[in-house]
Amino acid sequence: MPLSLNYLVKRLLWSVAVLVGVVVFSYVVIILSPGDPAVKWAGNPRGPGAAKAVEEARRELGLDLPLHLQVLNFLKMVLTGDLGYSIAYRQPVFAVLTRNLAATLELLFAAYLIGVPLGSLLGVAAAMRRGGSVDGLLQTLGLALASTPTFWLGMAVFAVLFSAGFPAYGRVSTGLALATGFQAITGFYLLDALLQLNAPVFFDALARLLPPALAVAAYPTGLCLRLSRALVADALLEEYVRAAVAWGVKRRVVVWKYAFRAALPGLVQVAGTAFAYSLIDAMVVEYVFGREGLGRLLFDAIAFSDFKLAVGLLVLVAAFYLAVNTLADVAQALIDPRVRL
Amino acid sequence: MSALRGRFNSAAGFLDLARRAWRRSTRFRVGSLLVAAMVAMAVLGPYVAPYPSDGWGLVPRNAAERAGKPPCLEFPFGTDNLGRDVLSRVLVGARLALLQIALVVSVSLALGLFVGVCAAYYRGPVEALLNYAAEVFLALPAMVIALALRLALGQGFHVVVTSLILSWWPWYARSSYVYARAVVEMEYVLLARLAGVPDRTVLLRHVVVNVLPPVLVQAITDLGSVLLEASAINFLGLGLPPDAPDWGIVVQNGFKYIVSMPWVSMFPGAFILATALGFSLVGDSLREEMDPKMRRRWKLWF
Repeated sequence: MPLSLNYLVKRLLWSVAVLVGVVVFSYVVIILSPGDPAVKWAGNPRGPGAAKAVEEARRELGLDLPLHLQVLNFLKMVLTGDLGYSIAYRQPVFAVLTRNLAATLELLFAAYLIGVPLGSLLGVAAAMRRGGSVDGLLQTLGLALASTPTFWLGMAVFAVLFSAGFPAYGRVSTGLALATGFQAITGFYLLDALLQLNAPVFFDALARLLPPALAVAAYPTGLCLRLSRALVADALLEEYVRAAVAWGVKRRVVVWKYAFRAALPGLVQVAGTAFAYSLIDAMVVEYVFGREGLGRLLFDAIAFSDFKLAVGLLVLVAAFYLAVNTLADVAQALIDPRVRL
Repeated sequence: MSALRGRFNSAAGFLDLARRAWRRSTRFRVGSLLVAAMVAMAVLGPYVAPYPSDGWGLVPRNAAERAGKPPCLEFPFGTDNLGRDVLSRVLVGARLALLQIALVVSVSLALGLFVGVCAAYYRGPVEALLNYAAEVFLALPAMVIALALRLALGQGFHVVVTSLILSWWPWYARSSYVYARAVVEMEYVLLARLAGVPDRTVLLRHVVVNVLPPVLVQAITDLGSVLLEASAINFLGLGLPPDAPDWGIVVQNGFKYIVSMPWVSMFPGAFILATALGFSLVGDSLREEMDPKMRRRWKLWF
């Protein structure tokens, strides 16, 4: 068994410690802002009762306490899953975040399901032609894909599709969803449509998901291309590959079963970290394609000076990063027998 | 000792490395030409731009008749919905882009190097605390830090730069920590400490000198990645104000008109891509040149 309970517990405690740091940092930054959230919470009151209303709002938000107590209170709340109340939505931040998380994750999963296999395949193809012109071209393609501004690529995809008569806007056609009685259960629309055997909504949602997913997939494709090229090319120079070739093992088996297998743990590790950071890319592309999701919350947080929502987003993004990295480590230990966690 | 492989330890050594890369690698040549073009634009941009005031974001007086012109001889990249010449915006913006990425990478490199080397050298609670701080900021992408700073401080140059520095320094801290751990174990460091050489001297003369080269090469690649992140932050309106000549902002200027005037967004975006690609090509081929294992040109077994 490559995994120990001891490791998992330690890892969990460490993640909580890092989250505490994230919360303290974000709370301190936002509380130092010049605008007064208490005034906003009281509804920008004017007239004789204004001072009293602001004072009450301040007490209600806990802003009258000394800073370290505020931070401690806030930490206690966050660690129990209570992220406070969103001023923009007049709802608990936690509910707002979870409602929008599924939409962003759907996009992210789609992008990585496209990008990681495609990039790895191209990388192996380049590694097998090491030093040749195809190799050079593929490697440059990998760099170019990883150097493309995602938001710009998304806009280009959108414009091309729009000119071709297909506006890939939003997540699903509202009219179609209403006409077929579509209900969001999990928030992953593709899954929801499948569960309800709703073919029109499924294909509509898929057609609207693929274009933004392609834009988000550019980065993982480029990254996996370069990485699998480097790792597989190294593995192909190893003695065991030479031995396998000498034994007359088939070329396809040598490449995939020996060389690619050796590159897999490294690939999983890097793709995992990239997956965590691509959440941000997905949020930006959502904005470009007018999709619901975490990306929209970013703008609402600014428009309403909603600092609870902003802190909620920060905590969510950091928690996502920590969770994905832990999973990547665990996956690496399961794939690579040399790693014991 | 992978940490110390193929190092250079002076400016002349770095130039030598670059010269070798130039001779050997097409990708290095293409990349450095792209970077050189970017730097030339940053230096000369405002002087060669046909309409410098458009570039800085001012709306021209005859905006109505100039608005939304597709690329033509007079406006090679077209004009935006306010009649501003997109070519001028791009040329003037190069300096702003270079300023942002140079500032972010140099400050985070200095900070990360300091933290990483100190953690590796002093060990104990210093090491634990510094590594913890690095881990906290590793979990925070620049975009969400920019959101927090945007709420706290409003729009501006300081928001983009600060948020990017806060999210980038841990990467340098981490890699210089790994390299420095290897260096600190070296006998010459131990002997220097035993001989009573002050800590500061050991750190500067023995540790930093050996840690810097690979981190510096990484930083060249990162210049491109930082440009991508900075433009995304500016595109979303978390950083610079909407009339600034930043490339991400110019892409944002054309966002609503992407179907009717695609040129407004497409040209500045292409410049972001070309610049980021240039820095990655240069950094990548330098790293390859530094690492003899990657340099070998063996035949495959089949």
